[in-house]
Amino acid sequence: MKDATQEVKLPYNVYLVGVGGQGILTIGEIISQAANLQGIPVNFYPTKGMAQRGGFVKAQLRIGKELVGPSIPEKGTHFVLAMERSEALKAVRFLKPGGDFLLWDFVWAPTAVMLGLASYPELKVVKEQVQKALGNLVVVDPSLLPDFEGKPVADNIFLLGIALKRASLGKVVSLTTVEEAVKNRWQRFASRNLYALQAGYELEI
Amino acid sequence: MSKEIVTGNEALALGALRAGAKVITGYPGTPSSEVIGYLLSHPELWREKGVHVEWSTNEKVAFEIATGTAWAGQRALATMKMSGLNVAFDSVISIAYSGIKGGLVIYVGDDPGVSAGMAEQDTRGFAFMADLPMLEPCSVKEIYQLVPQAFELSEKTGSPVFLRLTTAVSQSHAAINLKKPYFVPVEREVVLEKDIQKYTKAGPAICMLQHRDLLQRLEKSQETIKEMGLNSLSLSGRKGGLGILASGVSYAYLEEGLHLASQFGLDPESVSVLKVVSVNPFPAEEARALLENSETILVLEELEPYLERFLIVEAQGLGLNRKVVGKLDGTLEKIGDYSVREVVKGISTALGLNIPPELYQGIPAEKLACPRPITVCAGCPHRGTFMAINQAIRKSGLKRDQVMVTGDIGCTILGMNPPFNTVWNEVSMGASIGIAQGYVYAGINSPVIATIGDSTFFHAGIPPLINAIQHRVPLTVIVMDNGWTAMTGMQVNPGTKEELQPEGLRRVDLEKLISGLGVEHFWVVDPYDYPKMTSVILEALRLPQVKVILSRRECAIQALRRKEKAGKVKVIAEKCNLCKACITITGCPALSIGEKTIEIDQALCNGCGLCTFACGYKALEKEAV
Repeated sequence: MKDATQEVKLPYNVYLVGVGGQGILTIGEIISQAANLQGIPVNFYPTKGMAQRGGFVKAQLRIGKELVGPSIPEKGTHFVLAMERSEALKAVRFLKPGGDFLLWDFVWAPTAVMLGLASYPELKVVKEQVQKALGNLVVVDPSLLPDFEGKPVADNIFLLGIALKRASLGKVVSLTTVEEAVKNRWQRFASRNLYALQAGYELEI
Repeated sequence: MSKEIVTGNEALALGALRAGAKVITGYPGTPSSEVIGYLLSHPELWREKGVHVEWSTNEKVAFEIATGTAWAGQRALATMKMSGLNVAFDSVISIAYSGIKGGLVIYVGDDPGVSAGMAEQDTRGFAFMADLPMLEPCSVKEIYQLVPQAFELSEKTGSPVFLRLTTAVSQSHAAINLKKPYFVPVEREVVLEKDIQKYTKAGPAICMLQHRDLLQRLEKSQETIKEMGLNSLSLSGRKGGLGILASGVSYAYLEEGLHLASQFGLDPESVSVLKVVSVNPFPAEEARALLENSETILVLEELEPYLERFLIVEAQGLGLNRKVVGKLDGTLEKIGDYSVREVVKGISTALGLNIPPELYQGIPAEKLACPRPITVCAGCPHRGTFMAINQAIRKSGLKRDQVMVTGDIGCTILGMNPPFNTVWNEVSMGASIGIAQGYVYAGINSPVIATIGDSTFFHAGIPPLINAIQHRVPLTVIVMDNGWTAMTGMQVNPGTKEELQPEGLRRVDLEKLISGLGVEHFWVVDPYDYPKMTSVILEALRLPQVKVILSRRECAIQALRRKEKAGKVKVIAEKCNLCKACITITGCPALSIGEKTIEIDQALCNGCGLCTFACGYKALEKEAV
């Protein structure tokens, strides 16, 4: 954490994108709570829009600075987490050169795409764009989602686990405090999500 | 002391409790909804303390309730989005003239950057029009501090006070130190003050006297704000440098922007900063000091250049010819929300620094993303209404582009999107009916339909319906009653089922209300019953005078939260030929194209069965659950 903020006197920025219903806002809340448990200031700014209705959802976290504007500047994000392939493209503008970009390569095709009336971007388009932005892309295939007691775990929490290990996010908030935040949120039902978190953390890609 | 994470709106709610507000009212509207929403879900914070919190029928009613409380000497808060303030403004002006006894704060949420639809209205203009003080915090933490100060200012000056937040601040979550106890009562008698001179507008003499008093209160607030130290000025020891006037969220980006610019030749030591919290009255004295100290001044404020103009007026008064950078010189835009980018751009122009724009301009990859128009949820009863309107128009022998279907605010406007493309326009709360009447008067030969949701109808749809009835206007009004104020996050409204109302509240039944108005033709139809809905609309289109159809079925999301499903739909594999008509007609998110047949996501499917009517091959079947 100290490296991330003191060096440049700027906050550590996280940009989350996806589709309403995927649990983007929950990831943001968990990271915020974890930062708070570590006594690090955080500003979490979700843009719900039509979150409930399968629309685009984004959330911005700015960690490590007491008074900070809620929106991350373009080219200012240290870590992007995208939960849907097409929506991932909306985060590229905000990626810092050298920043981490974690893509859950899930395809949520809008109706027009299903009917063949609109085109949907190929994975290589996202790869090219992140490369152009000089980002470090990690693509995770949704088929890697593990089961817990016979049912698939929550993909958002699984991804958070991956991020803590594979992206610079893990230097800002620790797995331990994220686990504590998960326990605080789900109380006695936390075991499922703790498993998802751990499985993501230990995932070999 | 540990900090708790709260949103800007929650901080505002908690600030109001801490200030001893006795009545807190509002009408839902993004980005302001979570103040009342938070309080209603945490009754333990206020219910036992004699505090009253409610969703009112509309913002004007909410504000009037708060005023009555303030006139009786108690503290009150009314909350609304900017569009709601427009609705309340008739009363705001009048009550500004009268002044108040107990503290009265109006929270209004503006939405630069348009996160939720509607106008990029800069509500600060209303504060100038009404001659009322307006305060604007720059962060979640500052909201919590500022609410009690707003009440204090209101009582010290006898004036209602605006508290303005923008989306980025009201929707942000941040950790703050919450003071205990959460609620601090203001021990004060309820007063009944009879004063015709103050509380009525009976005659020009009274009105002009009140106008004089109003202006005096605003002038007094200037001193009070100074005593309270709400604005802050930090002057550089060196004269002739850069001055920055920043207000609202723009101030929160300042440090980052200065840091960036310092790498390109800006000397941070030469910068003077005036942080404006009191948007009205403008801190003229501090602005003059800033002008005296600086050669060039950058003004950072989203939307309209109000403060920039005030600053220029002060410069002229001092006879100073200063370079002012902002919107009036074309450097910054009136459109959209601001971030570090505007700070850097402004400094760059002000000082002629060579800061390359690429530094803060990323790769526009979003243009390669596929469009994702929003539609109604799986199981949404509005889907049935839109499908039936389209079908009835076809059956009536008319083309879709011959029948005007006016739209209104809320989820019902989603009928404008594919696959329905039913609704033609969206204006403001309740406008669908009046506008439809105007189309009829214009001389259209084909039928005109108005669509409106239940909460919107309660809010502002009743007067235009009364108007249409009185004038015997041939018009079909479809009230789409899903029992909730859904679009803004499922708030309760007068029509919500009684057992789902907060404890002790009554339901106002739309069926009784509409039939009580004496409409000529009135039907109540379940929008899941597509054949019935279609035939009723078809009949209505052919009848004279005012027709009202109450399309009634609870919001599927809310029903599902209580585990109530309408049924279960299954695919009969051998009958499905993948013609995709079900998707084309319903656009239901639970349907997708499988390898050999249509597939239904049973986790999403509500079992409404509307897709079964779209299928010409009987390949979709609804079963009861």
